[in-house]
Amino acid sequence: MNRITAILLAGASVAICVAGVRASAQPAESHEAPVLGVSSLGDAAMGEIGRRIASAPKGSTVEIGPGVYRERIRIDRALTLVGTGSPVIDGEGSGDIIEITAPGVTIRGFTIRNTGISLDKENVAIRVLAARATIENNVLDDVLFGIDLREAPDSVVRNNRIGGKELDIARRGDGLRLWRSDNVLVEGNHFHDGRDAILWYSKGVVVRGNSAIDCRYGLHLMFSDDVRIEGNELARNSVGLYLMYSTGVEIIGNRFLQNRGPSGYGIGLKETDRFTVRDNVIAANRVGVYIDGSPFTTAQPGLFTRNTVAYNDIGFAFLPSARGNELTENNFIDNIDQVSVSGRGDLSANRFWSGDIGNYWSDYTGYDQNEDGIGDFVHESQTLFENMMDKEPKLRLFLFSPAQQAIEFVGRVLPAVRPEPKFTDEVPLMAPVEIDAMRRMGAASSRALGGAGVGLLGLGMSVLALARGSGGDRGPRRRSGRNMAEQGS
Amino acid sequence: MSALTGSTTRLDGAVRTPAFAPPGMVRNIMTVAVRELRDAVRARWFVLYTLAFAVLGLGISYVSAVGAGGVGLSGFGRTAAGLINLVLLVVPLMALTAGAGSIASDRERGMLAYLLAQPVSRTEVLLGKYVGLAGALLACICLGLGACASVLAWKGDATHPASLVWLAAMSFLLALGMLGTGMLLSVMARKASVATGTAVFLWLCLVFVTDLGLMAGTMAFHLRIEELFALSLASPLQVFKMWSLHAVDSSLDVLGPAALYAVEEHGGSLHLIFAACMTAWIVVPLGCAAVIFSRRRIT
Repeated sequence: MNRITAILLAGASVAICVAGVRASAQPAESHEAPVLGVSSLGDAAMGEIGRRIASAPKGSTVEIGPGVYRERIRIDRALTLVGTGSPVIDGEGSGDIIEITAPGVTIRGFTIRNTGISLDKENVAIRVLAARATIENNVLDDVLFGIDLREAPDSVVRNNRIGGKELDIARRGDGLRLWRSDNVLVEGNHFHDGRDAILWYSKGVVVRGNSAIDCRYGLHLMFSDDVRIEGNELARNSVGLYLMYSTGVEIIGNRFLQNRGPSGYGIGLKETDRFTVRDNVIAANRVGVYIDGSPFTTAQPGLFTRNTVAYNDIGFAFLPSARGNELTENNFIDNIDQVSVSGRGDLSANRFWSGDIGNYWSDYTGYDQNEDGIGDFVHESQTLFENMMDKEPKLRLFLFSPAQQAIEFVGRVLPAVRPEPKFTDEVPLMAPVEIDAMRRMGAASSRALGGAGVGLLGLGMSVLALARGSGGDRGPRRRSGRNMAEQGS
Repeated sequence: MSALTGSTTRLDGAVRTPAFAPPGMVRNIMTVAVRELRDAVRARWFVLYTLAFAVLGLGISYVSAVGAGGVGLSGFGRTAAGLINLVLLVVPLMALTAGAGSIASDRERGMLAYLLAQPVSRTEVLLGKYVGLAGALLACICLGLGACASVLAWKGDATHPASLVWLAAMSFLLALGMLGTGMLLSVMARKASVATGTAVFLWLCLVFVTDLGLMAGTMAFHLRIEELFALSLASPLQVFKMWSLHAVDSSLDVLGPAALYAVEEHGGSLHLIFAACMTAWIVVPLGCAAVIFSRRRIT
């Protein structure tokens, strides 16, 4: 009984203190930019968990039982903070919630929710300002920023669920942010409804088995080198993965699905160097892969191999500056525009085959008489309407129309207007390459589609039945010949 | 002949009870409509169009479902694109020629004078024929797209069922608009052949000339995207296409900057804009046809 009273009292006093501090501090703070590496939590926060931490010796484990804790927490010594029975730490819609200032801290098993919404102060659920932190098995919900690692190398962020606030995308924060934090492992997390998961100036990071849905950038690298991105699923974001100014990135076995919108890319590569993109599935995005000035140097060609690029509006979009990419053993399946190059650029500085290995093109029209799996004719992409769309994107409005096909037809039969081939693949594959990431995708159920089909058929049939049923006795009308087809032909 | 006597007996009922004018009118329209529908579904043009539509649709569905190389993935890709393309080609042609052939050929054969000698008003005859032919077109569209959906489902394609049902509904609206336009041609033309010929020419204009003209305009005059979008709203085929796509993928980004602009600018009211355009294409030609038909001499 005493304990409960104490908790209540402590909670109330903390709430009053926080409110007081906020009220007095707000005008002064609003002009103040956050300073990296310096605490932004304030000193007033000391609740139940705070006192347990304050009394725990360095290196010990602090277990927190179930309940809702409305407090701010600072961890200033190496501790393992474990939540049992999923305790909730609630930020009550203002400020930051947890701050770690000492190396070697672990936080596990909490639900942390309801940060403030100040983008200026970067309100965050967990801010780490020291090395070797482990943040795992937590649920972060309704948070502006989720986990913010500032100069926190060798940390681990694993199996967390991080959900952003229901705000306009421009007012949201990053689900995960690394700032100068090398060799971090980001594994098995799920991000939804946030802005980005972003790496700034962080070397040697491994990002494995995460998923990001309904964010802005599923994963975003800025000036981050030697990063390995493996087995992630990035879907329904504005951009799945955006690499900028980074070197030595491996992108392996990920799935980039339905990343759409005005700048919707599965993978965007801006001035990125020494990268490998292998075994990925890139499907149903507005643009599958967007290449802007990558690779940046001639150190290594940009390697794309064994990816499935399917059902995108544009499979690969090259800016005119892109050169030195090499595409082999990729499956290009039913993208409306398989490969596009914008403006007046050409693709001559990029290769769509190497040695005797090409790619699979669903629009390849040749055949394979000697049955070696390689088409006997060169695959040349030269459709007139695609070229027109590349030069004048507004013309996409006329996609799917018979007029588009008329133009394609004219382009095929009149050599005078036939465009130069956009690119050639001298050794196109006859069958798609099998890819592991593909196999992991469940087969879609077609039962509802079948139901729709049967329903439509039934409607059509019943109209026919109506016509037949009401007119069974009127045989002679059949010869009336009132309709033009009967009359004319 | 026996048939006409049959309808006379029915129509007599309406004359005997003039107090119920609106139900009588509806009944007259329905009587004409059912007769029109019955004739239509037995006519060669209906069977041919329905077969052509279904076979082409099945071909597109089968090829796109199989051609994906069994990757078990599907987006709003070539299947839907192909079906939209097919609808844009076949449905306007069918509806325009069906409408154009309706009144004009009746008049040419003297059937129309005979029909109007019955106690039915001209508007009732026109609307009755419209409803009947619309029923026939509905049957054709449902059978064709239903068969496509069934084949896609059978081949394990993951096209969203709602997108196909929506496509069928949109196709029917397009057919209604084109049918009214065809009937307008029909009441204006002196001969049935002229009406049908004009209908085919109009189809050619709508399907190819309008789009190619807009494309040329875009390239030559560097039309701004808002101008391009506004101009494209004038074409019922474009409205049909954009609305079909918009319902499935509200961002409409597959159609490029002009469509993106439209979504950004109009947002949720885009549906209303498309609906208004479509309604105008359904109501205005049919209304004009009714006015002209009620004033023309029937010989």
